[in-house]
Amino acid sequence: MKKRVLYIEDDRDIGRWVKEDLERRGYEVDWQLSGEEAAERAKRADLVVLDVMLPGLDGFTVGQRIKKEVPNVPILMLSARTSVDDKLQGLRFADDYLTKPFHPDELAARLDVLQRRYGREPGRTIRLEHLAVTPDRQTVVDGRTGEEILLTPKQLQILLYFLRNPNLILTKEQIYEAVWGDPYIEGDKSVMVHIRYLREKIERDPGNPTIIETIRGIGYRVKQ
Amino acid sequence: MKGLLRRLRLKHSLLNKYLLIVLSALLLLPFAFPLIGILLVLPSWTQNADPDNRYRDGMRLERMWHAEAAKLEGASAARIDAELRRLRADYPKAEMFWVDGSGTTRLRLPEALQLPATWSASYTVQFMKTRSGGDIFTVVAFIGSGRDQGFMVLQLPRILLESVGEATRRNYGTIYVGGILLALGLFLSVSLLFFLRIRRRLVRLERAMAWPTDDGIPQTVAADREDEIGRLELAFNEMVRKLEASRAREAAETELRQDLIAKLSHDLRTPLTAIRGHAYSLNQEALSERGRESLGLIDRKTAYLGQLIENLFSFTLLSSGQYPYRPQRVDIVRMARTHFAGWYPVFEQEGFEVDTDLPETAVYWEIDPEWMERILDNYLQNVLRHAREGRYVALRVSAEAGGSIAISDRGPGMTGESESRGAGIGLSIAALMLKDMRLRVDVRSGPSGTTIRIGRIAAPGGGPAV
Repeated sequence: MKKRVLYIEDDRDIGRWVKEDLERRGYEVDWQLSGEEAAERAKRADLVVLDVMLPGLDGFTVGQRIKKEVPNVPILMLSARTSVDDKLQGLRFADDYLTKPFHPDELAARLDVLQRRYGREPGRTIRLEHLAVTPDRQTVVDGRTGEEILLTPKQLQILLYFLRNPNLILTKEQIYEAVWGDPYIEGDKSVMVHIRYLREKIERDPGNPTIIETIRGIGYRVKQ
Repeated sequence: MKGLLRRLRLKHSLLNKYLLIVLSALLLLPFAFPLIGILLVLPSWTQNADPDNRYRDGMRLERMWHAEAAKLEGASAARIDAELRRLRADYPKAEMFWVDGSGTTRLRLPEALQLPATWSASYTVQFMKTRSGGDIFTVVAFIGSGRDQGFMVLQLPRILLESVGEATRRNYGTIYVGGILLALGLFLSVSLLFFLRIRRRLVRLERAMAWPTDDGIPQTVAADREDEIGRLELAFNEMVRKLEASRAREAAETELRQDLIAKLSHDLRTPLTAIRGHAYSLNQEALSERGRESLGLIDRKTAYLGQLIENLFSFTLLSSGQYPYRPQRVDIVRMARTHFAGWYPVFEQEGFEVDTDLPETAVYWEIDPEWMERILDNYLQNVLRHAREGRYVALRVSAEAGGSIAISDRGPGMTGESESRGAGIGLSIAALMLKDMRLRVDVRSGPSGTTIRIGRIAAPGGGPAV
């Protein structure tokens, strides 16, 4: 099933090109020149790509309206996260930012991450080396034996958090706050301990992990 | 004269008011003396409990003595003695005696009273003469209605009975000093009140100036009088209003400028995006090797141009103090780690060796985290662009000396030739931001690499809150 992207861009050159590029990458693109009906159209979309400066309503207003109407559709802002745009307006509603001139590969990669983070793909199974993880059913199956690997709730949540943020390096503070839901307390070793036990269950060689990679001094990463 | 008065604006002047007070004090002075005199005597009229009081009024004593004498009509010598003793008990300070019809001195009170045993007519006359107007107040009363029963005498020092005038004259010094003190005291207390009220108003004004509201502008004060302070308050209020107006104008200008820059920045980036996008599309077509190289260059240069635009506008805002600054307490260890995590894949892709050294404990700085991220971005960008051949980047955070963040590379050093120029503006932005956040940067650059170290400017009481 194709993912539907609502793309709002007033520049025709860029608009046409991005639409074609995303369609080539397998998305269904609803390209609009203005944000007038954006909130209505966003209800039928899986992702929203929004340009900051639009004629009539500006991108911030449109974005806030979409977020209010359909809060579970991720929004990627274009031409934001620069010195003035986001700091002026406090772009809290946007889920990600991309500064123009962006590379099409980067846009595609960001959309991919957003889509996974919001996980609107029921029953999808993610393959990680020998593992098959199905986030909806909360199961992890060892592909070599076909047996389910039983994880504690915290271990499972950590693994799912990595899968929602593929290829990103996550710090122990980020993991702790996402999984435990509390502010990280200095010196806490919970994340380290839980990842060690998680590795013992899922890695081929826990002493030399390949699924959950340690980035020394920074954090952990799961590539997909 | 009129012009001078108008210039001094004396009508509602404090000077006027104070002159009035001085004048009243001068006018009061002549009235103060009689007032004090009355105040001194008044208690003796009202306080009957004073045991000496019964001697004060000579007339009353005289009346009393004559009345007592009249009552003794036809009384025996023994009864007269008894009566005199009773009266003596009532007036212990007075001396009393009586002389019978034959001129013989009878009872003397006290006994030691120097008197002749018998009274001749000539002695009696002489006695009366010496006593009249003398130092001793004397009352002589015939006993009974006739002359044959003799007379009785009451005498006491005249000092004990005094008229109002005498008392006044005697207390003249006290009254004089008291009068001056009264006038002076009144004048001083009224002056004190006068100056206290001025002081209160000045203090109120000072508070309004010294304790401004949240936006840093003092509050206006209520100016209800038309004197000098009232006019000062009005002038102060006017100044506050002007300040507010200029602040509002400044805010509007800032917003306008930021808005303009945001729009310009966007408008410049949009065609760049189109160029980059179409270069990418072109790359999908069948091209010669040279064509691909050209497209690669176009792609890199458009990306770089985007950064330059961003830096240029940032610098414009920053140097005019219009770049939003929101300082807060930030754990720089955590901030640096999280931010570097975003850069790691970029360095990894370029084949860099990445080294990190971060302490386990938090180090707090009072900074704008977005500014710091931007500073780190600029330095890391620089490493990527100018120190590529070193293939090495290190991030070190230390808790020592208030904390520091260091970025090292093994590039050719800042003096070395680099393929792309124009990094200056990025570094200028970093320098400006660091200065505003009271941080300093040490750059050690040589042919074997560069280390950029951000640390705190030693501030009084600004030690690390670990």
